Amino acid sequence: MIPDKPARIHFIILIIEAKSLCKRFRDVVAVDGLDLEVEPGRCYGLVGPNGAGKTTTMKMIYCITEPTSGSLRVFDLDVISHPREIKARLGVVPQENNLDPDLSTSQNLKVYARYFGISKDVAASRCQELLEFMHLSDRADSPMPALSGGMKRRLILARALINDPELIILDEPTTGLDPQVRHLIWDRLLELKERGITLLLTTHYMDEAQKLCDEVLIMDEARSVDVGTPSELIRSHMRPYVLELRAERGRVADILSRFGHLEHQSSGQNLYFYGNATEEFNGLYGAYPDVEHLLRPASLEDVFLKLTGREIRQ
Amino acid sequence: MNAGILSVSPAFYKVWLRNAQVFIALWKFNFLPALAEPVLFIFVMGLGIGSYIKEIEGVPYLDFVAAGILGSAAIMQATFECTYGSFFRMRIQNTFEGIISTPMSADEVGLAEISWGATRGMVNATLVFFILLVMGVFHRWQVIFLPPLMFLAAFNFAAIALLVTSRIAQMEYFRFYFSGIVLPAQFICGTFFPVSRFPEAVQIFAWVIPFTSYIDISRSLMLDRPARALGPELLWALGTTLIFTELAVRSMHRRLVR
Repeated sequence: MIPDKPARIHFIILIIEAKSLCKRFRDVVAVDGLDLEVEPGRCYGLVGPNGAGKTTTMKMIYCITEPTSGSLRVFDLDVISHPREIKARLGVVPQENNLDPDLSTSQNLKVYARYFGISKDVAASRCQELLEFMHLSDRADSPMPALSGGMKRRLILARALINDPELIILDEPTTGLDPQVRHLIWDRLLELKERGITLLLTTHYMDEAQKLCDEVLIMDEARSVDVGTPSELIRSHMRPYVLELRAERGRVADILSRFGHLEHQSSGQNLYFYGNATEEFNGLYGAYPDVEHLLRPASLEDVFLKLTGREIRQ
Repeated sequence: MNAGILSVSPAFYKVWLRNAQVFIALWKFNFLPALAEPVLFIFVMGLGIGSYIKEIEGVPYLDFVAAGILGSAAIMQATFECTYGSFFRMRIQNTFEGIISTPMSADEVGLAEISWGATRGMVNATLVFFILLVMGVFHRWQVIFLPPLMFLAAFNFAAIALLVTSRIAQMEYFRFYFSGIVLPAQFICGTFFPVSRFPEAVQIFAWVIPFTSYIDISRSLMLDRPARALGPELLWALGTTLIFTELAVRSMHRRLVR
């Protein structure tokens, strides 16, 4: 018998493959029918407002939350039947700091090495390597309270690498960090990607997603809203140029009455006009030369706000 | 769901080792305060009140109360470790979530916590054992069975404590457990005077708490006299240990893997 549709052949084994993935906590639906395909060696971003279901999705992938329905395979293994095998091959940077406050920097790494069954000698040399990689070598014996927020974050990333993982899952890796540390972490993540390691990250910083991610999935209210490369997402949802105006309260209505025919969004005193060419804004400039303005290319943040709205969620 | 004691791999000792490592790093804060209570009991009950009582059931009061003090040292330490200690690691430090993100399972964390609570209880009881030994309270060689018995007692109460810990949303609920079970156990289970002094209903409640069995067996090892019912007492001790361990490990799984 010949099937109606030829079976789809995967030439690449996907690192993560979710089909109609759902997670319910009592009557709260945290993830609703999510499809996800992450290819090896890519950096995949999950973005969305707080409470969109990003962290729950990640926890299902690293097997500390079980899906309610749908299928989820990581390294082509089922998350329900093979959690141990899956967890042995990935590294996790959780949203909240869970370093051992009573142990030193290197002890924190070595305790984790033991959970992965790494021998003492290998653990000692990896520990040294990783501390160097994350610029923490001079802090090897520091107690946790002596580390700054940025150092702790770097240590958590070092810890996620202790088992030489094929996939690293990062839940808001740079939230609350200074620009220096953010850039160091970005450099390191890009370096890891070059080595062929797959990255899955969530972030609230769209510049971070745009900089790091090959593919971005926008989530809102437990569902996937759209997925694509950052430039694809921008192209398909936005005109290429944005003119931002910051007008006094009284003038907003006036501006909109004259130029409301242009595609726009408003948020308080801020007006955003979208155009295919910069010339489209010439009339606006001319009419309000004194209004503070900024002309820029459309960004992932514009897509995000367009798709998930400007109002506060949680 | 693949859960329970039977799903636990021998690698669970790694979580036990993590706790031991932290304990050693903080030994100054852990060791002496834990010993203060039993030492205080020896002085207050044994030497203080004991000097008025002289004899109870035909033996010097200190000889009688020694079993209670030893048992309390074991179960109190195990209970503190697996209530406040485990809760702190679980909710405040997020230690467990980190551990189960590695190949370790939630069930292994559960069994390791109970084993660690039992270890601390036994360490504490063993120190008290040597203090009592030096004080000349022991007269029979059979007392060498006391440390392993205290390990079982500590394991039993660590398991019950972890079951409570895995079910509560906030630390304040521990107060119900402490005032409803732990404190009564410490005072009515034959610790300071025989259970038979109580009305029957209280006696039944006392015998339901496995601590009464442990104390009765301990006393039979220390003083040359038979336990009330060695077989059933041992069975109750072992049975409740096994049941509560299984319940606690499963409950911990449900709590951590949601």
